[in-house]
Amino acid sequence: MKTMRKRNLISAAILIAIGIGYAVLAVQLPTRNIENATGPSFFPLVVVTGFLILAAALLVQAMRGRANLGAVPVLAKISRRTYIWSLAAAVLYLVALPYLGFIAANIPLFAALMILYGEKRTVWIAAGSIGICLAIFFVFREVFQIQLPAGILGGLV
Amino acid sequence: MNPDIIDGFTQATLASTLAATAVGCLLGLVVGMIPGLTISTGIIIVLPLTFVLPPDISIALLLGLYVSGMTGGSFSAILLNIPGTPSASATALDGYPMAARGDAGHALGLAITASFIGGLFSFLCLFLIAPLLADLALKFQSPDLFSLVFFGLTIICSFAARSLIKGLLSALIGLMILTIGQDPMMGTARFTFGQVNLIAGVHFLTALIGLFAIPQLVDNLSAAVRDGQGGTSRARIRRILPTLNDLKSIRLPVAIGAPIGAFLGILPGAGGPIAAFISYDYAKKLSRSPERFGDGAPEGIAAPEAANNAVTGGALIPMMTLGIPGDPVTAILIGALLVHGLAPGPLLFLERGDFAYGIIFSFFWANIFNVIIAFLGLRYLVKVLAMPKSLLMPIIAILCVIGSYALRNNFFDVYVMFGFGLLGLAMRWLDMPVVPLLLALVLGRPLEEHLRVSLVASKGEIDIFFTSPFSLFFLAMAGLSIFWSLNAERRAKKAARNEMESKQ
Repeated sequence: MKTMRKRNLISAAILIAIGIGYAVLAVQLPTRNIENATGPSFFPLVVVTGFLILAAALLVQAMRGRANLGAVPVLAKISRRTYIWSLAAAVLYLVALPYLGFIAANIPLFAALMILYGEKRTVWIAAGSIGICLAIFFVFREVFQIQLPAGILGGLV
Repeated sequence: MNPDIIDGFTQATLASTLAATAVGCLLGLVVGMIPGLTISTGIIIVLPLTFVLPPDISIALLLGLYVSGMTGGSFSAILLNIPGTPSASATALDGYPMAARGDAGHALGLAITASFIGGLFSFLCLFLIAPLLADLALKFQSPDLFSLVFFGLTIICSFAARSLIKGLLSALIGLMILTIGQDPMMGTARFTFGQVNLIAGVHFLTALIGLFAIPQLVDNLSAAVRDGQGGTSRARIRRILPTLNDLKSIRLPVAIGAPIGAFLGILPGAGGPIAAFISYDYAKKLSRSPERFGDGAPEGIAAPEAANNAVTGGALIPMMTLGIPGDPVTAILIGALLVHGLAPGPLLFLERGDFAYGIIFSFFWANIFNVIIAFLGLRYLVKVLAMPKSLLMPIIAILCVIGSYALRNNFFDVYVMFGFGLLGLAMRWLDMPVVPLLLALVLGRPLEEHLRVSLVASKGEIDIFFTSPFSLFFLAMAGLSIFWSLNAERRAKKAARNEMESKQ
C-alpha cells in the first residue's frame, strides 16, 4: 500500500511538471486573428487544464493516502540487471537498425531474445535466428511486396 | 431489397475475401489460445499485411482474427486453466473442472457452440441496428458529435480504470500526444520541435504496437523465467460435438449471454471480460442448480462464451456507424480502414454502402469459419499450446518492428513505437490503464474538430452544447458515467477498508 502511495506521489509530481511544460509550449504557439475562430493553442490549453486539475487531484489523493486500490502492480519478476541489459540491447538495436538493415540487425536481436526467453541450445539459437529472420525478410519482400531496407547486406540480397 | 446489401454480400463471398476470413479465423484461434498473446497482439502481427492488401480483404482477415481470437481464448482456459485472452477468464471457472474430470472435448465443444450462437446473435444485431443507427447519426451536427465523442471517452475511462482519475489522466495524455503535428483547422505545426517526422503527428497504430506488444513481451519474459517453456495439457479430447441434450441444457445461459454481450459490446470500453462475468453471474442466479457452478457445469461455460463472442458484433456497431471504437481491436479496424482512405461513420453507409455491408457479411462468414475450423481442427490446434515462448516472442518482437516501419516506411516510427512501449510499462507501474490513451488517439481528432467547429458556429458561446437535444443527452450520459464510476470506486474503497479492518 505504501509503495503505491509513493508511486502516486512521484507520478503526480512528474505529471504536474509535464503539464506545466506542455502549457508553456501551448501558450507560445503562433496565433492567427480570425474572427470567432479558435486558435491552434485553444484545444491544447483546454486539455492541459483538465490534465493539471486531475494530476493535482491525484497528488492530493496520494498525500491523503486515498488513492490505494487493490494490489500494487508488478512490471515483471525479473532482476534489475536483466532489465538494464534488455533496455541497453534494445537501444543498441534501434541505433544500429538503419545502418545494418533488417537482416543484419534482426539476427543478433532474435538470438538475444531466444536466450532471454530461456533457450539454451546453441544450434537452435543459431538456426532459429538466421532462418526465421531471413524467412520473415523474404516473405515480406517477395510475397507482401513490403520493401524492408537490407542495409549492409544490400548487395547480397 | 437495398442493392448495397446484395453488393456487400457478393463482396464478402468472393473467394479471396472468404480465404482471408478463413486465414484470419485460423490465426485468431491460434493467437487466442496461446496464453500471453491477446487478440490485439495477433492483429499487430498481421497489421503490416493490411497495408498492402485491398481494404475488403484486410478487414475480412482482421474480423476473422477478432471473432476466432475470442473462441481460441477458451481453449487454454479449459485445458490449462490459463485463459488465452482476458475474455475467457470466466470460462475457466467451469471449463477447467470439466476438463479435469476427463470431459475436455465436451467442454471445448460447448464453448465453440456457445461462441457460434453468441456470434450469430451479434451479427443479427449488427445487421439490423447498424444501418438504423447510421441513419440517425446522419442527423447529428457538430455539437452532437462533440458530445458523443466526449461521452465515448468518459465511458471508456469509467470502465477501463480502477481509479477514474487515472483513467481520465490516461485519456488526457492521449489527447496531449494527439496535438503533436498539424492543427486540423489551420494547419499550424504544434509541438513538432522542427522535426519533419512529427508534422503528420503520431500514428495511433505505432502507438498501439508499442503500448500493447512491449509490455506483453516483458510480461512473457517473467513468465518464461518463472514457468519455463510453453504449456501442455494432459487432458484427453474425446467427443467434441455437443449432443441434443447438451444444446437443451445451454439454451438459457446462451439466451442470457448473447444479448448481454451484444449490449455491452456496443458500450465503448466495457468489452469481453465484463460481459463474460456478468453473463456467468446471471446464468448462475437463474439456474435451477446454481451449486453446480464452479464444478464443471455446462451452463458456466456456455454463458460467458456466448457473451464474449456476442461482444464482437456489438463493438462493431458504434465503430461502423459513429466511428467510435469500443476496444483496441475495433480501434485497429478503424486504423486499417483509414490507411485505405475509408473513414468509418454514418457516411460510410451513405457513400460506400456496399463496403459497409461487406464488412457486416464478412463478420457473418467469420462466425461460420470460426465454428468449422474450431470443430475440425481442434485436435491439431491445441498442439500449439506447446509452442516454445523462446521462438514465439522473438518473432513477435521482430514483427512489431516491421509493422511500425512498414506503416510509413520510416525508422522514426520504430523509435516512436519503442517510446510508447516504455510509456506502456510506466503506466502499468502506476496502475494506469493504456486503453483510454489509445482510444483518445483515435477519438481526439474528431473531438477537437467538432469542438472548434461548434464554437465557430456559436461565436464562442458554449450553450450550443446544451441546446441541442442529442448533445444534451450525450453530455448527461457522460455525467452519469462519471458519477457511476466515482460511486463504484467509493464502494470498492469502502469494501477494501472493511476487509482490512476485519483482518486486524
